[in-house]
Parts: sequence; structure tokens; C-alpha cells
Amino acid sequence: MTAPSPSWVAEPTVEVRAVSKWFGQKVAVSDLTCSFGPGVTGVLGPNGAGKTTLLRMLVGLLSPSDGEVLVLERDPRRSPGVYRSLAMVPEEDAVYGFQTARQFIGYAAVLSGAGPGSVERAIAAVALEDAADRPISGFSKGMRQRAKVAAALVNDAPVLVLDEPLNGTDPVQRAHLIATFRRLGAEGRTVVVSSHVLAEVERMADRVLAIVDGRLAAAGDVAAIRRAMTDIPYRVRLEADDPRRLAAALLESGVVESATVHGRILAVEAGDLAGLGRSLAPLARSLGIRFTLFEPEDLSLESVFRYLVRRR
Amino acid sequence: MRAFGALLANTLRQLLGGRRVILLALMGLLPAAVMALLLADRQLAAADGGGREAFHQAPFTILFFIVLPVVSLIFGTAALGDERRDGTLSFILLRPLPRSMLASAKLLGAWLATLAVVGTGAVIMSVVLGLRFADWGTLGPLLLAVALTSLSYVSVFLVLGYLTQRAVLIGLLYAFVWESGMTTAVASLATVSLMRIGLSAYAGLVPSAGTYVEDLLGVVQPGAGGAIAKAVVIAALAVASVAGLLRYRDVA
Repeated sequence: MTAPSPSWVAEPTVEVRAVSKWFGQKVAVSDLTCSFGPGVTGVLGPNGAGKTTLLRMLVGLLSPSDGEVLVLERDPRRSPGVYRSLAMVPEEDAVYGFQTARQFIGYAAVLSGAGPGSVERAIAAVALEDAADRPISGFSKGMRQRAKVAAALVNDAPVLVLDEPLNGTDPVQRAHLIATFRRLGAEGRTVVVSSHVLAEVERMADRVLAIVDGRLAAAGDVAAIRRAMTDIPYRVRLEADDPRRLAAALLESGVVESATVHGRILAVEAGDLAGLGRSLAPLARSLGIRFTLFEPEDLSLESVFRYLVRRR
Repeated sequence: MRAFGALLANTLRQLLGGRRVILLALMGLLPAAVMALLLADRQLAAADGGGREAFHQAPFTILFFIVLPVVSLIFGTAALGDERRDGTLSFILLRPLPRSMLASAKLLGAWLATLAVVGTGAVIMSVVLGLRFADWGTLGPLLLAVALTSLSYVSVFLVLGYLTQRAVLIGLLYAFVWESGMTTAVASLATVSLMRIGLSAYAGLVPSAGTYVEDLLGVVQPGAGGAIAKAVVIAALAVASVAGLLRYRDVA
């Protein structure tokens, strides 16, 4: 794969080649080609987009129905030895409640063949020192997440795959974990982080892969994805005493791209939300129309991604 | 070797650490309790060979027909089934360890847990006989029989526990319909009975086990060597099967 593409990096450590995965009739990932290299890459997508399926294929927990996944040029399904260089924080609560955090991380260290001192380093990396000797069963969701992250860090793997690692964490924990992931990426490790929260990914990742309905919707640095998102017209609900006249005036002025009237409610689509805001009041005033509502509809990540998919 | 030890220790902690072990331990003591009650019958105790005869009937039946299959089933299916249910299977799979090592550690853990529960009851049962009649000839053979039958059961149930979430129900049907029912009713099926692997070793080492044990064996020839070989082969097949499943089966 030499053709320049935003979904492919120059020196990949993880390669996903034309991978599809289906469960019965349901296609979870469809013909996906991408790669990951040193630094933090965010895998972004709404719930059910196929992020977890992709990440589980990266680490060999799921086999692709078609295509191939290589980690450091090896198929993780066939070479358990690759787990010396590959670690994952799964989305599920993969912890033993009867262990303390130190025992849990120590267990991961022994099973991974990690060197001496690795347990204490991993505990320090997630700032879990104060709770390290408490049973995990009494941990909050956020603390369990940190224990899982520590268990993944214990063998200094150069490739880390983290599935929604910030779930359940409080803002302080989140900031600490984000700083940890950024540091690991800066050290030259390949860090793949999934999230359905755009703001989190923006803070963590230099590069983003956006996945919708199992397909790659967009790839590139965060700024590029943002630019792609500004192409989406904003939907705004207005309430006015004469919505039909207001709609005609807005369309004529070119401030909105479309307008639909339902009773007193006027739904418009505008490419420039700020421009609409600036123009609306003077226009309404000049027509003698009173408007009582200006409500931009939720621009959820899901709707953004659906737009990106439609645009493909 | 350190990793194998850690896997084994964690498996034992998982299996023996929960509340279910209290119930299973009480069940494990049932044959010994029945043996003690039988020996309280003075007439039976006074009869020539009455102690050993009593030993080979109700306590033996409870041990081999109920306690052994149930305890083996619970521990055998839980060894990997609990990891899958609790989401920790990915934790052990994402380690640079041969899948055969994971399977062996799980099998050994489930077997040792079963032995700890059932073996204790079997030892007490034999000790009761030994203390009352100075008859210690059953202790070693009974432990071997329990070890071989439980190894065979646990091997099958380990695979079952990984394959399906309804392993306990299927295992109970297998133990009570197939092992206790079919292979006892149809003499020719006795050769494929897991329970009779241990019984054949026992009968080979205790020639005076009596007609009850001979009837149970049916067409199976007594002999410890053959029984050990059978149990080891079944365990090896189970390890190979589970290792293959861990390697190729998706962990969704």
C-alpha cells in the first residue's frame, strides 16, 4: 500500500487490509482499509458504528470475515507472541473483583512476562497508588478503568489499543488519562483510542479515523475532520407570528438554503449559523414579524457521521 | 512456568473463593455422613464384612452418581465459563502465552478444586471405615478412582463450559441421563462411561469390592493401568480442543 491516503500512514505498525466482519446477516465492518503508526490515533464513531469490532480484530479477539489484520507484520490470531508488543484495554469490565488493583496489575505483569518494577510504574502511570491495595470489587467505574489501563501498560507494549478508555471516569481522571495517552504517543508508541465523544478524541489524538455503519467515513488530522463537518448545514427551529413570510424573506436573502413551515414553527437549514443569527433580527424587524424562538437543533456526532456517510 | 503457576493460582481462587464452594463442600461430605450413619446401625456393623458392604452401597452410590458429576460439572464449566461471563477471557487471551498452557492451567485448576472438595469427602468416608473396622484398604484406591473420574468429567465439562452458556444444564442431563441412566441400563454402553473409568481402577485395586461394584462396571474390565491411560488421553484431548477453540473462536 503505497498510494497516499489519509487512512494510511507512512510507517504503519498496524495494518488493516480490506477487512470486513459480519455476524450472521449483520455487517459490522465493511471493506475497511487503514493503518496506524506511532502517535495517538482516535477511532471515532457513534455507538454501533463498528469501532469495538474493528479494535477487537486489531488485537485478534475477533477474526476478520474477509481481509487481513497485521500487527508488527504478524497476524495476532496466529501468533500469541505478538502480545509482548501489543496490549489492549477492552471496553468490558475485564477485572477480577476478588483481587486488589496491585494483584490484578501484578497478574497481568506475570502473564505478560513484564520485568521487575513494571507493576509500580504502571500503578504510578495511572495515579492509582492510594487505592492499589484495595479490592477492585469496591472500585468505581473510573477506578476500574484506570486499573485496566495500568494492566495494559505493564509490559511497555509499543502498540496499545484502548476501547473507550475514558468511560466512567471523572473529569480529573479523564484529564490524567488523556495526558498519559498523549505522553505514550509522544514516546513513539502506536496508541489507538476509540471514543464516541468528539471532544475527547480531539484532546487525545493527532489523527482521527471516523467510522459510521462499519465504513470509513473520514480520516485525517482532527482539523481536517472539523473542516469536513462545517460542510453540514445547520438546522434551526424558529417560531414566528408569520413564519411563511419570514421563510420567503430568508430564502430570498440567501441566508438559508431551505425552509419548512409547520404551523408557527419554521425549520430552516443554513450553512452559516452565525450569519443567520446576524441577519435574522434586522430582517424580521424590517418585515414587522415577531419571532419568539431561535433553536439550533442538536448537531450530534451521529448526525455528523451520517452526513459524512451520505456524502461518500 | 511462573505464568502457569499464576494462572493456576488465580483459577483456584476463582473456583474456591465464591459462596458456591460452601454448598459444594457440604455436598462433598454427604457420602461420609451417610457412611457414618450406616455404621451407627449395630447389626450391620456386627455382621462379617458388613462395614465394607455398607461402604460399597449407599455412600459409594452417592459419591459416584451424584457428588462427583455435580462438583466436576460446576468447577469444570466454571473454569472458562466464568471468565467468559465476567469478560475476563480477553484479559488472559491477550497475553503472550501458548493457548495450550491456558487450557492446561484451567483444566488442572478445575481438577484440583474438584479433588479438594470430593477427595476430602472420599477420604473421610474411607477413614470412617478404617477407624471402625481397621479396614484401610479402600483409602488409596478410592482416592485414585475419584481422581480419575473427576479428571475425565472435568475434561469434558471444561470444553462444554467454553462452548455454551447452558453448560450446566447440558452437563446435568449428561450426568444423570447418560452416565447414571443409559450406561447403567445398557451394558454395552458402560465402556464409554466416564464414571466407570475410576470405578475400573478401584475394582482393579480392591478385588473384594463386591458384587455391587462389579454390577456397576458391567462389561468394563477392572484395571488401574487402563483407567489411568484413558483418563490421561481424555484430558489431553480436552486440552487440545480448548487450545484450538481459544485460538480460533471469536471472543465477542
